[in-house]
Amino acid sequence: MSEQLALLNAPSEVVQLRERLGADWPSITKARADALTVIDRLQAGLGGHVPPDTSFVVYGSLARREFTAGSDLDWTLLLDGPSDPAHREAEILLRRRLEELEFKEPNPVGTFGRLTVSHDLIHKIGGEDDTNRNTTQRILLLLESIPIGDAPAYTGVVRNVLRRYIEEDLLGPGDSPYRVPRFLQNDVARYWRTMTVDFAHKRRLRGSGWALRTAKLRMSRKLIYAAGLLSCFSCETEFVAQARGSGRADTPLVVGHLEALVRKTPLDIVARFVLQYFGELSGCARDLFGAYDAFLSMLNDARREHLDGLSADVAGEDPVYEEARAMGQRFQDALTRMFFESDTPLPELTKRYGVF
Amino acid sequence: METIGFSTGSLARADVHAALALLHDYPTGCVELSALRMHELAPLLRSLPNLPIKDYRYISVHAPSAFTAAEEREIAAGLLPVAARGWLIVLHPDAIHDFSVWRAFGDRLAIENMDRRKPVGRTVEELRPVFARLPHASFCFDVAHARQCDTSMTEAFRLLDSFGDRLAEVHVSELDANSRHIRLSRTAIRASLEIARLVPVDVPIIVEAPVRPHEIEDELMASLQAMGRSSSSARQVAA
Repeated sequence: MSEQLALLNAPSEVVQLRERLGADWPSITKARADALTVIDRLQAGLGGHVPPDTSFVVYGSLARREFTAGSDLDWTLLLDGPSDPAHREAEILLRRRLEELEFKEPNPVGTFGRLTVSHDLIHKIGGEDDTNRNTTQRILLLLESIPIGDAPAYTGVVRNVLRRYIEEDLLGPGDSPYRVPRFLQNDVARYWRTMTVDFAHKRRLRGSGWALRTAKLRMSRKLIYAAGLLSCFSCETEFVAQARGSGRADTPLVVGHLEALVRKTPLDIVARFVLQYFGELSGCARDLFGAYDAFLSMLNDARREHLDGLSADVAGEDPVYEEARAMGQRFQDALTRMFFESDTPLPELTKRYGVF
Repeated sequence: METIGFSTGSLARADVHAALALLHDYPTGCVELSALRMHELAPLLRSLPNLPIKDYRYISVHAPSAFTAAEEREIAAGLLPVAARGWLIVLHPDAIHDFSVWRAFGDRLAIENMDRRKPVGRTVEELRPVFARLPHASFCFDVAHARQCDTSMTEAFRLLDSFGDRLAEVHVSELDANSRHIRLSRTAIRASLEIARLVPVDVPIIVEAPVRPHEIEDELMASLQAMGRSSSSARQVAA
């Protein structure tokens, strides 16, 4: 087993939480095990195909370690270094190699499945040049991504993006980085809102896939937003001791803290917070993770295909859609209790940063 | 000015005598004698008794950056008496074949962090096992290598945060796209300044940028500025 896979295989916060709750989340467990197998297969299959100064980065369900039967492979070849015409050839060869390995291709005109250059991700945050694709790649890099194999390019880009968010949030010389990074948190919130608006746009544009997209929006899309918020809030809640008198020179500590969270899955980030306030949040956690386990179970059997083919006008009477709607409601209720009604710092932070 | 100096390799590659002659008129208290290429080591060791280095407060030797397993013991045997003088031996971690050969050097051996071309020694995670096998070894922090691996300087910060208690020498320069050492740019100075506070003022700075004789003073000043030691030290250089 590779070093990277051994690290990924280490007992995660989700496993710790599951054991403390005495819960059984078979679909979460299976999806994670399947994801690790796929990551291992990718590592072995792509060895030698990824040029220096680049990282092969995957996003989506594989990065969340929630790989199910219908999962496709969202990837980019991330370049952080001198430009070389050979990079384009490498992109083509990688695409062919993935076909040989029988991975499901991402949308050919979409955000993934191509070479991505670090420059735009780092420099074009906000403004007219920050296209929907650029925002998506940047925020998903922070919320649900994982490098396959050697990762210096990936690590460098993640750190530089985080550094921009943290440093440019400090307006005065005495400002401390040990606080909620508003620039980052607003961009994560903006991305979540963009997803919800694009959802409506796609519903108008495409006939099919609406019900499955709805379920994903209510579960996995909402999960990464919640994990993003918790990551931002942790810059304040987990550095309380240092928060007095520390200046911007400590920015690398906060960047390092957030980078460590980028390496975790969204479920692990939520579980990590639950473990910190275990007694208070264990009830929420049972509902939240229970609903999510049911969601992954649905994605791994015939109900996925059923939802994918379901149109909006008949969904109201469809039992599978009703089941998906109910698990979405249970998930939302648990998040509402956690973020708005718990005896933790979350309600105050959500009030202070989450709306205005 | 006692805590800055040049690597002889930056001034005259293998010709240590020529490099020291060029430095004669500058008030640098430190020098690193370079034997970066294998064939440079034996001549350097032979010439040590005759080198004009008595005025240097701090002297280190850079060991060859690549050698075979068969050559390793001979190299270590040649360098051990040098370390016994109290001089630091700077070694690249990827060059090591047998760690036991180097344990006798104790804290007179300094392991240097590597550039992104190397498969090991670039990050905290990659250096930790090296120091675990050489528990008394010192740390030679190369700012350019760290910055090349991570331009956000987070890894530089982490390296100094993790191995700061071992820090014995700092290499200052910049790297070009081909990983060659070059003179400091304004951007490199600015980046270095971000971690300069983590380097104690008594830790020697070794300039690794290749310079022509008329550029020595400017590069010393730039390097001092990069490490946040500009004012009084720079005035001494200028004088």
